[in-house]
Amino acid sequence: MSAHLGPTPLRVVGQRVPKVDGVDKATGVAQYTVDVRRPRMLYARLLRSPHAHARIRHMDVSRAQALRGVRAILTYRDVPPVVHAGQPQPRAGSLARDQRILEDRVRFVGDGVAAVAADHPDILEEALALIQVDYEVLPAVFDPFEAMQPAAPSLHGTDRNLVIPPFIVRHGDVEQGFAEADYIFEGRYETSRPMPAYMEPDACVCEFDPSGRLTVWISTQAPFMVRGSLSEVLGIPMSKIRVICEHMGGGFGAKQDLYQYPYLCVLLAQRTGRPVKMEYTREETFVAGRSRHPVVIELRQGVTRDGRLTARQARFVANSGAYASHGPGITRVGTNALASLYKCPHVYIEGLCVYTNAPIAGAFRGYGAPQAYFALESQMDEIAAQLGLDPIELRMRNMFQPGDRGPAGTPFREVMLPACLQRGAELIGWAEKRQRPADPGPIKRGVGVACQLHSATSYPAVKEAAGAVVSINEDGTVQLLIGAADLGTGAKTVMAQIAAETLGVGLDAIRVVSGDTDVTPYDIGAYASRTTFIAGGAVQRAAEDAKRQLLDLAAQELHAEPADLHVTDGVVASRSDPGRRIAVKDLVASPGGRSARTIVGRGTFAPRNDYSFAAQFAEVAVDTETGQVEVLQMVAVHDVGRVINPTTAEGQVEGALHQGIGYALMEDLVVDGVSGKALNANFADYKMLTALDMPKIYVELLESVDDLGPFGAKGLAEDGVCPTAAAIANAIYHATGARVRQLPIAPDRLLELIP
Amino acid sequence: MHRFDYLEPATLSEAVALLAQHGARARVLAGGTDLLTALKEGWERPDWVLSIGRVADLRYIRYDSRDGLRIGALATVREVETSPLVRKHYPVLAEAAGTLASVQIRNLATLAGNVCRASPSGDTLPALLVLDAEARLVGPSGERRVPLARFFVGPGRTVMEPTELLAELVLPPPRPGTGAHYIKHSLRRAMDLAVVGVAALVALDGETCVDARIALGAVAPTPIRALAAEEQLVGRPITPDAAEAAADLAQAAARPITDVRGTAPYRRRMVHVLTRRCILRAAELAQSQGRLP
Repeated sequence: MSAHLGPTPLRVVGQRVPKVDGVDKATGVAQYTVDVRRPRMLYARLLRSPHAHARIRHMDVSRAQALRGVRAILTYRDVPPVVHAGQPQPRAGSLARDQRILEDRVRFVGDGVAAVAADHPDILEEALALIQVDYEVLPAVFDPFEAMQPAAPSLHGTDRNLVIPPFIVRHGDVEQGFAEADYIFEGRYETSRPMPAYMEPDACVCEFDPSGRLTVWISTQAPFMVRGSLSEVLGIPMSKIRVICEHMGGGFGAKQDLYQYPYLCVLLAQRTGRPVKMEYTREETFVAGRSRHPVVIELRQGVTRDGRLTARQARFVANSGAYASHGPGITRVGTNALASLYKCPHVYIEGLCVYTNAPIAGAFRGYGAPQAYFALESQMDEIAAQLGLDPIELRMRNMFQPGDRGPAGTPFREVMLPACLQRGAELIGWAEKRQRPADPGPIKRGVGVACQLHSATSYPAVKEAAGAVVSINEDGTVQLLIGAADLGTGAKTVMAQIAAETLGVGLDAIRVVSGDTDVTPYDIGAYASRTTFIAGGAVQRAAEDAKRQLLDLAAQELHAEPADLHVTDGVVASRSDPGRRIAVKDLVASPGGRSARTIVGRGTFAPRNDYSFAAQFAEVAVDTETGQVEVLQMVAVHDVGRVINPTTAEGQVEGALHQGIGYALMEDLVVDGVSGKALNANFADYKMLTALDMPKIYVELLESVDDLGPFGAKGLAEDGVCPTAAAIANAIYHATGARVRQLPIAPDRLLELIP
Repeated sequence: MHRFDYLEPATLSEAVALLAQHGARARVLAGGTDLLTALKEGWERPDWVLSIGRVADLRYIRYDSRDGLRIGALATVREVETSPLVRKHYPVLAEAAGTLASVQIRNLATLAGNVCRASPSGDTLPALLVLDAEARLVGPSGERRVPLARFFVGPGRTVMEPTELLAELVLPPPRPGTGAHYIKHSLRRAMDLAVVGVAALVALDGETCVDARIALGAVAPTPIRALAAEEQLVGRPITPDAAEAAADLAQAAARPITDVRGTAPYRRRMVHVLTRRCILRAAELAQSQGRLP
């Protein structure tokens, strides 16, 4: 059914068109949540716990209440005691309900204990300081292994502080597999706590109108999840809640969660009868945002002399922090990822997700896979080195075939890793650089590779669907309504391209409307590399539905068969008799004075998942006297199916490489092991790569033909981050002989490892 | 943010008089890259902010071969970095200035402000120390000159009285046959603080080192000179072994702490590596300078 399989060449899909909202963003016209200002608006902020674990004996807000300009204060006594999930994905198998809006118990440094609304943001800090909280400090635990001990303090009353029961993936019999192995490799890999550090801090504005209808402007990846959760927890019918997020400055996964603040903001608006705005400070985005999970992976693999994997056994232990958030989901995805990537007949992987009194970990680009692939791809490199095999050759010997089952349990339609590896090796000059004699001075260069495969959508854990509506205006232009949010990735542009291509109209004829739950069809949210794949599929179907209606009308007007008609540049014409033609605008609103016709196309798309593939190569220079690593270049070859817009697609890979290199070398929120305080919750001490730190990057996109997604598109957003740390670690090994098993690869730790 | 009154004197004497009046309750504003952050974060809560931005004739970089270099209190770090005079006669200062924060910050920040901030990791301070810079301070009872080697007292603390202003920095003319180099060791190439900073200056007469200065940043409560290491170098050729021996002594002089930017043992080890590299590079530069016509 896909258009690209037909004879007509693509006109809009595959083009480097600029972002449809680019001018609005560049000129500052685009309204972000932090830009929203309402008449008589109040400002609110949370008081946060200084203790990692404590019970609140008593709170006295009287002095804060008396401060001039303070309009309302909420404590745990003032909020509905509803237990809910931070990750409100409906019907996810992994939902964990473990948080309250406010509670007489705090579980990490930064847990909210009260909220204040006031006339002006300047007095909030003073008001918060006047709230007296009498804490009974409780023993705290920060290490997941300690937290699993019987004597450890319990956070939520679960067995061994586990968020969910152990998640097990098992194929074959690992004992047999190890018995068949000639060599056994073992390693313990430890990953860090990077933060998404999006440009736009978390923010919302909540306002009730006189009839009790609530409008929430919020920086979110999932407007419908926000609406659903607010409705469920606060008891407001969905018809009375409108959630708006037209533009956002990044989310990277973290903004799928509902933190405490939107609930509190709604309650403050309710109590004061005025609009209320809450905006995180940058420090709050660190201490009370969501990090990638720090994970310890104990990995053991058996391999034959000729490099065939016989057994893989592993334990994936994720530190969830104080609440579950996406812990269940990332444990599932990370454990599945550890079981996959290369063919292995005997696999036993155990995934554990553990509560600790650390800051909350959540969804962040890669969702368990960056951690899993760091371990797996590091060990593959180690095996290759020990067996004297080229790392690419070892991978080729263990490659999946089409029809084999991937990490999500569904079969691969294609396995594009060999093509990615081959092309990447050519681009970086692999054969020559692997043979290069060691550099003479203290600076040593090396090249390394790591692979990944990733599933777009969270199928089958969630059977997702997306919706779109295409409505044709009287002049032939098009309103495209999509439920999917655009995090800043260019989703609106890609959706517009798909609609324009399908309808046979120009891109400038499409107006994209998104991020408004009152207007658009339902969408579960923008995450899991899903939007182009699944929302794009819905757009394609909605556009096809509208086009079918147009062609039926045109067939009547032109006395032709619908199958003989095509739409090009806004004109419907007969293939067999090109003189028979009519403009779309004349079809919709006849010049004869009759009322315009209503042409509305609807589309939903609920596919199963599809896999995308990547091989990434790193070339590094390591200063063996200081432990400093310079990434000289990265080559990223990705198979993502049809590329709808090469510019935004390459941008996704480039951005992912930026975060991936940061993950490898420096990004890490450091939590003090005694107090539980974050030691670098600011941009001075939380290091991200600057433009000057970025290496040369070569991105090449392979376009395997796969007609599941729109025009054959697959997912892409997360892939680039997943193998980057291992590629760099492997290049460091090639350069120095130091095998790194801990992230970030800090100079002081690396220096200890260099032989 | 704490409320304050804003003062904007037009002359140096007016500024000094206002400072004499408000003293410790006032903070001086020049580039503002440190002070504004401190005000916003509440680390500083002055009642008066005294801007010297409109004081005439504080923004200059002047050089003559007899008196050396004079840098006015309002000269920006970027101006120092790009000044042809500084690049020609004191290239190590331009080099160090170019490692501070980012171009945008260097366009606002002043060199004098970097000195007054007295951060142990201040990027221009080791270079200024090896160049024997002095601060000219003006106060209610007149002016005095303090060598930077005696200027810093602790993190953020100097010998300046609350009523004193740093009017200019003065560097003696460079002697012929010297080379100097600064190495900033940080995780990133911009917008970062030094984990360790090392500056070395070497003066050669033929092959023999006749003068050496080594300054270390971020490894003690103030930037420090490694005097024993300097002495080790003087009177002999700069060989890899000599540099190694001096690096041992510099390492012994360092008293670093462990913080989120680096551990004490790592910092000590880096003092060694970077001092050795810095001395050898400075000697190379001194030799190439000696060969100039």
